[in-house]
Amino acid sequence: MGVRGEMEFVIFVADAARPRSPSEPPSRVRKGTAGIEPTAEEETAEISQRAVTLARHFAGKIEVIPRVPIRGLSDFAYWYTPGIAEVARRIERDPEEAFSLTGRWNTIAIVTDGSRVLGLGEIGPRAALPVMEGKALLFKYLGGVDAVPLPLEVASAAELVETVRRLEPAFGGINLEDIASPKCFEVLETLSRGLGIPVWHDDQLGTAAATVAGLINALRLTGREISRARIVLLGAGAANIATARLLGHLGADLKGMKVVDQRGLLHADREDMDELMIHNRWKYELALATNEERRSGSLAEALKGADVLLAASRPDPHTVHPAWVQSMAPRPIVFALANPTPEIWPQEARRAGAAIVATGRSDFPNQVNNSLIFPMVFRGVLDARASSIPDDLVLTAARELARGAEREGLTPEHILPTMGETEVFPEMAAAVASAAVRLGIARVRRTHEEFLESARSRMARPRRLAEMLARSGLLPEMPPGAESPRGGLRGQ
Amino acid sequence: MTENRNAGPEVSAGGPRQVQGVRTRLATAADVPSLATLLVRLKRLNAEFDPLLAVRPDAEEQAVRVLEADLKNPRSVVLTAESVEEGNPRIVGVVRATVRERPFYVPEMEGVILDIYLLPAHRRGGVGEFLLAEATRHLKEKGAGLVTAEFPSLNEIATRFYAKRGFRPITSLHARRI
Repeated sequence: MGVRGEMEFVIFVADAARPRSPSEPPSRVRKGTAGIEPTAEEETAEISQRAVTLARHFAGKIEVIPRVPIRGLSDFAYWYTPGIAEVARRIERDPEEAFSLTGRWNTIAIVTDGSRVLGLGEIGPRAALPVMEGKALLFKYLGGVDAVPLPLEVASAAELVETVRRLEPAFGGINLEDIASPKCFEVLETLSRGLGIPVWHDDQLGTAAATVAGLINALRLTGREISRARIVLLGAGAANIATARLLGHLGADLKGMKVVDQRGLLHADREDMDELMIHNRWKYELALATNEERRSGSLAEALKGADVLLAASRPDPHTVHPAWVQSMAPRPIVFALANPTPEIWPQEARRAGAAIVATGRSDFPNQVNNSLIFPMVFRGVLDARASSIPDDLVLTAARELARGAEREGLTPEHILPTMGETEVFPEMAAAVASAAVRLGIARVRRTHEEFLESARSRMARPRRLAEMLARSGLLPEMPPGAESPRGGLRGQ
Repeated sequence: MTENRNAGPEVSAGGPRQVQGVRTRLATAADVPSLATLLVRLKRLNAEFDPLLAVRPDAEEQAVRVLEADLKNPRSVVLTAESVEEGNPRIVGVVRATVRERPFYVPEMEGVILDIYLLPAHRRGGVGEFLLAEATRHLKEKGAGLVTAEFPSLNEIATRFYAKRGFRPITSLHARRI
């Protein structure tokens, strides 16, 4: 296969002209079956049908294109034999040269076993491929990062880990995606130790970082100190396990924190603790670290007097009752992050007294969206050639995202930048890169301004690429009837 | 001859009286309900390791029965582990052990640790080791010349725990369904 430095992954973007911000009205009024605005279900059904039509029409969202000029076949003397032998020899002498002499510096693998994909559950690696392709598109469009979708047929966490280890020579970083918990904790922890290239699990770290960024601002707006805030986590899966850990680093009171799962409040004496010790030691440790009073009970009880609810559980708008929000402390903060349906509708939470509400959806204010984190983190760690992504870097991204919301003004309806506030993104990348240098894990050391400059150009380039490709006539035309839908990026 | 000491802290010869706020004493009849609950938790933990250790539905009643029998048995040692961290003593662990005669081998008297369990919040800072040491002391007082521990073969946590304290496998129990 060709040397990767000469290839890159190009995105084909429907409606390539410009990114739409979620507050824009649709390009035409579409009628639902009642003759007026379509319901959310009708819209989703329509979007789903179109997505299949488009997938069939384009047969692939990304493809490899040359990154170097090919003036004629004789140029292959450089790109291939005999010239390439010397390039190979240089890397053999100094493996670090691979990052300078090939595209490895900017190429990551998107790895899944298909064990927990979106809201579909365990659909397996083959069915997960279009989702991974979509993620690759997001990495390129938002972060300028070349990403290779790699769904794997593996039977265990150990096989997944081994496969990724064996792939290390090809990539500058690894993004784990849609891997069920608690397997995902084992995989991320094991790979993060000593692989030498940064590893990230977006369902854990992306969600947690975006949540923490929003919470930092929500606490500020409601005049609260993180160490004194009474926080309740609903859901003890990938996202909240990571969120709890990050909050601990930020000084949140873990002993007072309450975590509620499907069986109720987690606590050290709960009946299933030994089962958890064997099968999910992350949840086990969380149960030991939180709820010091060892109170048992339901979400309703946990919420009494609480300042913050961070819900990352099943999509069901009746999960959190408005009455329970009313029982929280005055001016409570409610994050209902389940996708596509939040645990409580934001309007209901507001009516019940919530001062600040966030969801995972782009059609409500305060979207907690992983896409605000992962492209920027990878831009930063790849530019600095960081060897790993410790929690310090994750928090740097979160803090910088939180700071970014101040550009357009911090308000209860704007605790996070929206996807359209693109000036924030290179700043996040540069902050992450500089933090990697400070932590001593960067193999490329530049000034903050240099990182910012390269992040800006590397993140602006894909949009220009998309525009140019759209004008080039080389892309298949969009089939008729496919306007840009209103929803857009509904969070990961 | 049943030793019927009252529920006060033991004075160990030279050893600590409590570790991480946990102390041990010989169990009494009043402890049985709490100890039975802990025993059942242990049996359920064992079941996680091996389907041949699936727990009987009447495990709670069995635990009570077994403990009451132990309290009447001079060869038995039942220890209650109590936490005094939060003021009122709270039962947080149990040890069940017994002394058996080995008809063919020396040392003749074997101290067998049948069950040892601590609630998760107290499995740290040497509490488990303390319980083991206390149980061993009692077994030695009853004449045991060696101490053995029984636990599911697939329980690697237990294997490591005992290996660190100088235990090694001596016999092996193999099984299959019939």
